[in-house]
This record gives sequence, C-alpha cells and structure tokens, in this order.
Amino acid sequence: MKSDALISLLGIEKTYEVGTELVHALAGVDLTIRENEYISVMGPSGSGKSTLMNIIGCLDSPSAGTYEFGGEMVHEMDDNQLASIRNRKIGFVFQTFNLLPKLTALRNVELPLIYANVPREDRLEKAKQALTKVGLGDRITHKPNELSGGQRQRVAIARALVTDPSIILADEPTGNLDSKSGVEIMKILDGLHDQGNTIILVTHEADVAKHARRIIRLLDGRIEHDDRKRTV
Amino acid sequence: MFTLIWETVRISFQGILENKSRALLTMLGIVIGVLAVTLMGTLISGLDRSFERSMSFLGKDVLFIGKYEWFSNQDWWEMRNRPDMQLDYGEKLKAASDVVLNTSTVMARRVDVARGDNSLLGVQLRGTTPEYMQTSFINIDQGRFITGGEDRSGSRVAVIGADVAQGLFQNRNPLGERMKISGVTFRVIGVVEKQGKFLGLFSMDNQIIIPLGTYTRIFSRRGYIQINVKFAGDPGEAKEEVRGVMRRIRGLRPQDKDNFAINQQEAFETQYKAIKLAIGGTGVFITVLSLVVGGIGIMNIMFVSVKERTREIGVRKAIGATRPLILGQFLLEAIFICLLAGLAGLGLAYGGSRLIDQYVFPSTMPVWLGVLSVFLAVFVGVISGIAPSFKAARLDPIEALRYE
Ligand SMILES: Nc1ncnc2c1ncn2[C@@H]1O[C@H](COP(=O)(O)OP(=O)(O)O)[C@@H](O)[C@H]1O
Ligand SMILES: [Mg+2]
Repeated sequence: MKSDALISLLGIEKTYEVGTELVHALAGVDLTIRENEYISVMGPSGSGKSTLMNIIGCLDSPSAGTYEFGGEMVHEMDDNQLASIRNRKIGFVFQTFNLLPKLTALRNVELPLIYANVPREDRLEKAKQALTKVGLGDRITHKPNELSGGQRQRVAIARALVTDPSIILADEPTGNLDSKSGVEIMKILDGLHDQGNTIILVTHEADVAKHARRIIRLLDGRIEHDDRKRTV
Repeated sequence: MFTLIWETVRISFQGILENKSRALLTMLGIVIGVLAVTLMGTLISGLDRSFERSMSFLGKDVLFIGKYEWFSNQDWWEMRNRPDMQLDYGEKLKAASDVVLNTSTVMARRVDVARGDNSLLGVQLRGTTPEYMQTSFINIDQGRFITGGEDRSGSRVAVIGADVAQGLFQNRNPLGERMKISGVTFRVIGVVEKQGKFLGLFSMDNQIIIPLGTYTRIFSRRGYIQINVKFAGDPGEAKEEVRGVMRRIRGLRPQDKDNFAINQQEAFETQYKAIKLAIGGTGVFITVLSLVVGGIGIMNIMFVSVKERTREIGVRKAIGATRPLILGQFLLEAIFICLLAGLAGLGLAYGGSRLIDQYVFPSTMPVWLGVLSVFLAVFVGVISGIAPSFKAARLDPIEALRYE
C-alpha cells in the first residue's frame, strides 16, 4: 500500500505562537494520498484546512511529523529544495486567483516554466496549450483585469497545470465566484481528474465537495472523518 | 541557467517600466551625481589644456625678477616700498654670472589703442628688447619681431596680439598698417600667434609689444620693470645664484631681507593646482552628496516597491521562485534604475561637454571618468538595492500571499 502512495503524512503538527498562547493549527494528522485521487477537505473555519494545504504544498513546514512526497522527505528539505518541489510537483489554485495583474494571461501561465528554466519557445507553446485546455485559447493576450472572475480562475488553473505537476491543490477555488462560474471551474477540475491528475480541494460547500471521490473532514486540527467509500 | 538569468533580467526591467514616473524621479540624484563628476572632469581637462597653452610662454628655464611676488601672502605695502627695478639690471646680471644665459627687460603699462573708428581700452603695452624672444616662448604668426636697431633708434613699430589684431583690423591683414597707441602712431610689423585665455587671468592675445627704447622715450624710464633671466642648469641652484647677484647689485647686508622678487612659472602651477583642487573637490562633493541622496531615494523606492509587490513575491515563491531569484530580481531592478540614470547622466554630460568645448574652451570628457561614473552608479544600485532585496527574498510565502 505504501509503495503506490504519492503523499504520506505522519503525525503532522503545526503550532503557532500567538503572544504567550500556543495555537495548534494541526494537532497530529496522518494522511496518505495516492495518484489520481480526488479529495475534498472540509471543516469549519479555523479547523486547519489551509494550514494542511500549505504543508502539502510545501509552502510551510510542519512543526512535527514526517512528510514524504514521491519518495522524497519533504520535512528535511531546505528552502531552495522546497521551492524546486513547488515548482515541479505542485500546482496551486487560490481562492483569490493570485495572478500578476500587469502580465497577460499567457505571461502569467508561462511564469512557473521560467523558474523551471524551460526555453522560451517551449514555454510559450506549453502555456498556450494549457490555456487552450481551460478554454481560454482565444484570450491569451488579455490581462487579468480584462477577464471575468471565472476566466481569471481558469488562467490560474492553466498556470497550475502548465508544469504537469504531480498534484493540484485548490484552496476554495470557487469561493470568490458566482455559482455559474463555480460550476465551470468544477467541470474543469473534474476533467483534469479524468485525465489522470491528482487533486485536493478545500471547500465548505457540500455541492462542491461532492465532485470529489474522497472527503476529509477536519476539526480542531485533526482528521475527524475520512470518507473514501464513495466510488463511481 | 542562462534562460533563468535572462528572464530575471527581463522581469526586473518590467518592474521598472511598470513604475516609470517614480523610477524617473529617484533617478534624478544619480543623474546629477554622474553629471557632476563627468562635467567636472571635462572642465579640468579643458583647464589643463588652456593652462598649458597660456602658460607655455613662461619658460620653465626662466626667472622673472621684479618688485612683486606673483603669488604670496607677503605684505603688499612692504613689496610696494621696495626700490624700483632698474633698466641696467639685465646687463649686470648677465655679466656677473655664467648661469645667466640671456636676459630681457620688460616695461609695461595699460594703454588705449585706436585705428580709425575702432579703439580698444586697457590693452597691455610691453616695451622690451629683441632678447625677449629667447626668454619667452611666443610664436610670431605673421611678420616679425622687433630688432636691435629699432630698439636703439626708438622706432615706432609694434608687434600685436591676436585679439588686438582682430579688434582693430578685423579680417584685414594688419601688417604694415598704422595704429595709435596713446595717441602716438605706430606701424604693425608682426602678429603673435593666438594663445587663449586662462581663467581670464593672463593672455598674450590682448598685448602689444614695442621696442624698449621706444617705450622709454614716449612713456617713462621708471615704473613697472621686470627682468626675464634665462638660466642654465638646475633651477634651484640658478635661483640661489641669481638671488646672490641681485643682493650684491642692491648692496644688501647679510641680515637684510631681499627687497626684490624672483618668480618662476612654478608659482602659476602651484596656484593652478589649488584652483584645480577646488574645482575637483567641489565636483566630488556634489557627486558624493547626490549619489548618497540618490542612493537613499532608491533604497526607499525599492522598499516601497517590495511592500507593494508583497503578493507578487508570494505568488512567485508559490510557483517555484527561490530566494536567490527573488533577491536577484529586486537587486537587478535597483541596478537597472541606477544604470539607466547613470547612462542618462552620461548622455547629458556628453552634450554638456560638447557645449563647453564649443563655447567655453577646448576640452574633452575623459573616457575613463565616464566609464568610472557609470560603474559608480551601478555600485550605488547594488548598495541601495541590497537591503530591500533581502527583505523581498526572505518574505514568508504564506504571509506574502495573504497580504492585502
Ligand atoms: N500565521 C499564523 N499565526 C497564528 N495562527 C495562525 C496562523 N495561521 C493560521 N493560524 C491559526 O491556525 C488555525 C487554523 O487556520 P487555517 O488553517 O487557516 O484554518 P482554515 O483554513 O480551516 O480556516 C486558526 O486558528 C488560525 O487562527
Ligand atoms: Mg482557509
């Protein structure tokens, strides 16, 4: 079972010091994720969903526990190694899109490939492909403020996809969108899962969570439910 | 790796373009700094050249003996009360010492000159002997210098400077023409090659030379007299020797102070070096000041830029930018601003130096100074960019992404 695990978290804790108080954002999380899983993380506000995503996404390091990603020990990595693994293995989709406002859609999507040191021609080709994949092949020269919210989030998804990552992490990707755009985004994520991508999705909307094949519920920094019985 | 470096350069450049007006404003200090240092260099190069030219007629192997020190902090009244120089000192000096190769005697005063309707006021008139050509380094451009015969007979002939020629005769050939010096008619026999001015101090161009014999007959045998002594051998020893002879001529006792002055070209050089130092010092002061002010301005703008772009930094980190890359991006941005400012300053300085060359005096901007000033600008970029860039590089990606 462990051999085909993409991600395995063991005893992950994250503690913040706020003044003299200790906040246990994560209080011992064990989690194994295999390739091509489609997971929703749910739970009340402050339960540690974002913290968990940040740790899985190698943006943050755990206070305790071990984190293995594709055979590499992430909790032992230094800053540059973490940056490299974020670049090659992880695609982020944020609630607030986080596109660079002065760059066109194409340039935004191209960015991760720059840090991956991909030659220019390849880069533009791949970025175009990724934008076409999310249905924005005809909007590549638009800047974020010339796009609707749903379109912006699609650009963000294209940016997450373009490096062909092992896992796509989406923290409330529909949180800032109207329901129609939200549905479109979920369609795209479903499609990506069908093509073999591994996806973790944070949401507090049950409708959105239903798209996933496995639902994890967090409460006070612990996994309260891990519901993987649903299969199609 | 090359791609990455190139892209970092491009990203930095974009950063500047996105904030053009602000970048321009902070560039000003650097522009002024570069401008100050290069224009100062141009000025000094021009001064050097005109100093060389205008001082060249004062030979290095000539002593100038007179009543006054050229540059000294001696009491002017003390010098004024010294006995006057005498017209026969030249002969006496030559007879008394082997070190003295030749001497010429010069008398001088200010006069007004005229030809027809053209007149020039306050022209320096010199009466001297043909030996003047051996003790001073002037070139006769047209015609000839005065002769011994003209000196003895008191002929009314004149050798005029280039400015006098231009002022009285414009573009006509002055040779053989007549002119009035203090109302007395003279014939022009020669024109001295143009020499140029040095800080308006001294110019052969605004002078007229007539035979000493003529001068003493028309004006006076008394007044300002200077003996030019061309010597052989070591300048220090020659000066001591001539000093001894002068003391004997004056009949001074050992305890008496010299009541005459022995001047050398060196005196001008010393004075000139002081001027040069003052100009250079001012230039360096302005440069350092504006570079420091500019540097602080750029550091400030970079801190603001890092703060404003906190989210951008967070995004870049989230998608894989390493700390060194973020550091490089902001450091390069600071360097680019300074480099652009430096090049702009250099361009302006080049234009300025061309104007100085055309309208003030012949001069060129020293190339090494231009290169140095651009390096200096880049250096300011590095220094002022370091702290903000480190701040950017060390930002925590999660907090940066949350920044509003
Ligand atoms: N940087 C931080 N400093 C202090 N406390 C934090 C920090 N980040 C998160 N927390 C705390 O950790 C807990 C979990 O936060 P988070 O993972 O953002 O929850 P969620 O995304 O489920 O709403 C919360 O109590 C939050 O206040
Ligand atoms: Mg959250």
